[in-house]
Amino acid sequence: MTERRPSLSELFWGMLQVALSAFGGGLSAWSQRIVVEQRRWMSNEQFLTGLTVARLFPGPNQINMAVYIGAEFHGLPGALVALAGMLLLPFSLLMGLGLAYFHFHTIPSVDRVLAGVVAAAAGMALSMGFKILDQYWNDRVALLLAVVVFLALSLFDQRLIPVVLIAGPLAMAWYWPRRQSNP
Amino acid sequence: MSGLLAAAVACEPARLSDLGTLVQVLWQFLSLSLFSLGGGNTLLAEYHHLAVAQFCWLTNTQFADLYALAEAAPGPSSMLVGLLGLGAGWREGPFWALLCAYGAEAAILLPSTLLMVMACLSWKRLEHSPWRVAFERGLGPITLGILFAVGLKILRTADTNWAGVVVSVLVCVLMLRTRISPLWFMAVAGVLGGLGVINR
Repeated sequence: MTERRPSLSELFWGMLQVALSAFGGGLSAWSQRIVVEQRRWMSNEQFLTGLTVARLFPGPNQINMAVYIGAEFHGLPGALVALAGMLLLPFSLLMGLGLAYFHFHTIPSVDRVLAGVVAAAAGMALSMGFKILDQYWNDRVALLLAVVVFLALSLFDQRLIPVVLIAGPLAMAWYWPRRQSNP
Repeated sequence: MSGLLAAAVACEPARLSDLGTLVQVLWQFLSLSLFSLGGGNTLLAEYHHLAVAQFCWLTNTQFADLYALAEAAPGPSSMLVGLLGLGAGWREGPFWALLCAYGAEAAILLPSTLLMVMACLSWKRLEHSPWRVAFERGLGPITLGILFAVGLKILRTADTNWAGVVVSVLVCVLMLRTRISPLWFMAVAGVLGGLGVINR
């Protein structure tokens, strides 16, 4: 199986196809199916490396993944084209919804339905921390760090950037890989 | 819940047609971009701070609505930033609102995109570097703390009655224990809201 290098316009349409297929969820699985299996732009290993990089660096994971795929073939222009293909449809759709929202949200029945939807969405936001809690459960330093960051943000109402700039280097120093004892 | 929320002090919405304000707003989004750890949801509380407290484009309720809208719609949830842009420009008409929306989204994505491109180009060297290991392991617990703070912030912003809080907690548990699509939770909760069981 040989991989073939997509042109810029193929990148755009490919990412558009990913975004379209993923209406209803599973963006990452769809991009793997289309990029690796259907269009054969890259090997599975390459794709998985991309996921690792996308998760590690700042930015939304799925968007970083599009950037990785685009950059792999055409550098920065490729990244921007892939990004545009990925976002064009969902973003336009959401902006349409948003305009409708600002038009209609003062209607009482709309507001009542939204109050319910908001309660569910708040539950989703609440679950995000619990979702990754397991992997830190046995690491006391990690839990302490998390608690300190949580308190700084929630109780003392500090802003995110200074908190990360102070806690980040401290945490990195603590977790700096040591040569002999590997915890 | 409403007791927890200090009554919002009336403040003047920042207008993006003023160049100084525009530069300030763009700078805020550009710099936040590099701090979107753990997939971007870590920025939610900061978005709330910017849009509701600092620049006064949205009310608490509107922010909660827009967050729910972004979660319900297909696509990456970071598109919430586009909705904040809409809110910022809405007073000056839909065209200006859309312009602000695209501008805001571009500002929040550009720096992380540039960094990501650089990371891809130098990944061979980065992969086994101690910096990478320390970054990955050190920033994880910080992300954990931020996500709990964000969850609490959104819950407070939603500011529903007790039935709403029960639904929020229930959805949280179901999100963790089942693989049911969250769209179902939002649909059912929307009906409960329409019936007046959940209100705010």
